Amino acid sequence: MTTAIEIKGIAPDKSMETCARQIIVSFYHEMMSHKTGAIEGENIKCVHDMRAASRRLRAAMDNFANCFQKEPFKKHYKQIRTITRTMGAVRDLDVLITRFQNEAQTLTETEQVDIQGLIEHLQQKREAARKPMLALFIELDASDFETQFLTFFEVHE
Amino acid sequence: MAKPHKITGLNPNGSYHENALIILPQKVQEVYSWEQFIHNPEQREELHNMRISIKRLRYTMEFLAINYDKKFHDFLTTLIELQDILGDIHDNDVVLETLTEYKENHETSTLSGIETLIARTRKNRNTDYQTFLKKWEQLSQENFKQKLLEIIAS
Repeated sequence: MTTAIEIKGIAPDKSMETCARQIIVSFYHEMMSHKTGAIEGENIKCVHDMRAASRRLRAAMDNFANCFQKEPFKKHYKQIRTITRTMGAVRDLDVLITRFQNEAQTLTETEQVDIQGLIEHLQQKREAARKPMLALFIELDASDFETQFLTFFEVHE
Repeated sequence: MAKPHKITGLNPNGSYHENALIILPQKVQEVYSWEQFIHNPEQREELHNMRISIKRLRYTMEFLAINYDKKFHDFLTTLIELQDILGDIHDNDVVLETLTEYKENHETSTLSGIETLIARTRKNRNTDYQTFLKKWEQLSQENFKQKLLEIIAS
């Protein structure tokens, strides 16, 4: 399970809008801090952590939507939703593969052969699911999404 | 997955604390909107939606926690426990779907390993569902919702 990051610059007496901006920007950075690991694909925790951070970011954006101008907000929200969904396709397969690998150890040798076939099938699906994720990262870089997102949500104190 | 309920009545110029009091009761309400479905174990989608709503409430409570004292965190711990039990139910549902689909596409083989896991997962799913119902019932008897709303309003 992932734990929430400590968010600096928020306080009960500060304005809602200032805190909303601070939270959104913090979660954005937290999400992107796992991007390199997610691209490498060796440690499945990176995809998990990036998706969890994207969900926290979306939860914040859902709650604070009324603090922002509708149209630019909607565009940024949709992009974050795409990130969550694309990461989710990979993460769901990681969860299944890990579970079946653990379950296989409790079965007879004959039964393990069946499960190995299923694991290989899921590993192929995982490789296929990684392609849209990697393509999305390239697209985000090319469209300068990060600059636009951070400029829109930057904190004005 | 159901969309989150829209938060209304927010005051961007008001304080963070003032707005916590507006946001959180609406998030609690979203969770309880799924309560009507929990007594049917076959309502997979609705149980999953309840889990997602609990997760949204949990994340919201985490970043609004600065507005509250330690008691608030005890409620957060209970919500995480509920989310985990519902997560186990959902994981079992996904595993069952995966195993069944794989079996259907490999009808020519015996696949005893797949059969063993289907039987085991069904049993686990039932146990997890009963655990959830028991926990939910216990929380209802303890007036969890009312107490949570009181903490939020404090």
